[in-house]
Amino acid sequence: MKFGLFYELSVPRPWTRESERTVYRNALEQVKLADELGFDYVWAVEHHFLEEYSHCPAPELFLTACAMTTKRIRVGHGIVVCVPEFNHPIKIAERTAVLDILSGGRLEVGTGRSATWTELGGFRADPDLTKQTWDEFVRCLPKMWTSDTFAYEGRFWSMPSRTILPKVYQRPHPPLWVAVTTPGTELDAAERGLGSLGLTFGMFAEQEKRIAEYRRRIQHCAPVGEFVNDTVATVNFLYCHEDEKVGFETGRRMADTFNYLATQLISAREVYPTKSYQSLGLLPQLRRQATGPDTSSQAGEGLCFGGPERIIRAIKGWESVGVDCINFLVNTAEVIPQADVLASFRLFAREVMPAFGKTKPADEGGA
Amino acid sequence: MPLYGALELDRVVARLPRMANLDTEAWTLPGTEILQLAWEVGRDSARLLPRAMHPAIPPYATVTVARFPDTPVGSFTLALLRLAGRAGAHPRGLVLGGVATSESAAHALRERWGLPVAHGEVTFRRYHDRAVATASLGGKTVLDAALVAPETISAGDVQYIASVTLAEVTEDGQARVRLVQVDSHYTFHKAERGRPHVDRFLADAWNAGGLALVHPISASLTTADTDLPQIRFVMDPEIPVVRGTRRIR
Repeated sequence: MKFGLFYELSVPRPWTRESERTVYRNALEQVKLADELGFDYVWAVEHHFLEEYSHCPAPELFLTACAMTTKRIRVGHGIVVCVPEFNHPIKIAERTAVLDILSGGRLEVGTGRSATWTELGGFRADPDLTKQTWDEFVRCLPKMWTSDTFAYEGRFWSMPSRTILPKVYQRPHPPLWVAVTTPGTELDAAERGLGSLGLTFGMFAEQEKRIAEYRRRIQHCAPVGEFVNDTVATVNFLYCHEDEKVGFETGRRMADTFNYLATQLISAREVYPTKSYQSLGLLPQLRRQATGPDTSSQAGEGLCFGGPERIIRAIKGWESVGVDCINFLVNTAEVIPQADVLASFRLFAREVMPAFGKTKPADEGGA
Repeated sequence: MPLYGALELDRVVARLPRMANLDTEAWTLPGTEILQLAWEVGRDSARLLPRAMHPAIPPYATVTVARFPDTPVGSFTLALLRLAGRAGAHPRGLVLGGVATSESAAHALRERWGLPVAHGEVTFRRYHDRAVATASLGGKTVLDAALVAPETISAGDVQYIASVTLAEVTEDGQARVRLVQVDSHYTFHKAERGRPHVDRFLADAWNAGGLALVHPISASLTTADTDLPQIRFVMDPEIPVVRGTRRIR
């Protein structure tokens, strides 16, 4: 089992000049500690216009800062939006290559397509086409990283032969993932040899079934890259405290705040009927699965808040259904004081990580 | 925490529907044709939203025109303007104004569900390249809008959010203004999607003075079995719904 941090970088109102800077600085301090404690990944989203919920439109910059202040932790786009109105594929290839170089080959690249009208409408992107543009981008990206020269004539973009520079540092290239919010997208991942970067909480039984099918299909995949990333990650909250009750109540407050902010946004499906967005996406999934019928979360199967023993049980549950990695949301809207977040990390590393064979890394190595 | 609505309730109390009681019986409404047009609207629309609710990000409004062939008061056509928002974590459309083609329907909608509906003219015409709706009050056209370039989509792709409406209700023997939830259910049989287009929209006639339909989002034309349900929840319009909601049944 591997452990990661997952950053939306939410900034609560009222906003001051310092609000966003504080959130970014706190996150960087958390990542630095997580690296020292042996966490495996830090992921950052790409979101636009999502007031309070996420002020992270340029994850490559945040991740570069993470890479510069850490030694081992892998830095992940969680995800880069593969829709031409958001990102040109050449720029994605170039930016990710630079980040891979600067991080010393620690880059993970999650891909996706956005799930909110707030964002799709903001860029005037066509919700009908985002699955198709994602497919085209994902097929091109590994070739743009690895080919001496690259030319392409596609439906959504094209380019004459050029040398795309720089090249990625990792060989053959960084691992590729796809964000999985809608049931069935994990099968898209499997058939293309991509890691499944789960962004919904789900329940053990449901996840077990989906993971089993992912594992079955990926055995027969046609990989878009030069290797298969047969890895399943899921997302969770983390707040670990010696006092079970304090840990649980604090974690639940964070989950409720996340849920509340998420549902203020407009999912694509709410306003734009299309087969491209059959489910309500991440946000309502969170509402349904992580919280109760109103706005208050229930105990939540497998949620990682409370005391160390409870969290170990939850993670064992995820491990038993085939999850390889859990990425944690560790604070939302700064509802938890920074010192408490850092204390939660330390306790988690001391009491929980050893139960999964992980120990604090030696102070050497890395990029 | 998110922004809240900024409606000054005192300014609208006098024109709110007065509900007879909260024991409304449901109407079943089979074979309803529904045209829904959605636009993004300006940030200043928060002044139309009760303080209990949050504006959607970005704010948007819908015009819904529904032709009911079979109701307890006979067939009629209804046009509604709704401003989308959030009641706690739930997407809701606040009904700002409406026009119904039948006097008895308008009366029932006001008295039983608290919908701010006036009697007027509503037309709803279907062509191969568009579906056009108009509404007029006192002979004055207050809406002329259309879905253009219709294409068939799966009925399963459509969802409509539930409504809330401001109305005067009697609680504990006292008249109080409440947000009333009207959460209709839909079973869709056919659906088309197109672009919304507006030629005329008089915001004042919809109790939405100053509201402009700015950026088109989408338009849908559906056939559905729906209902006007029993009232399940009412909310205090002045305090966040997580604290101010009362379950009726």
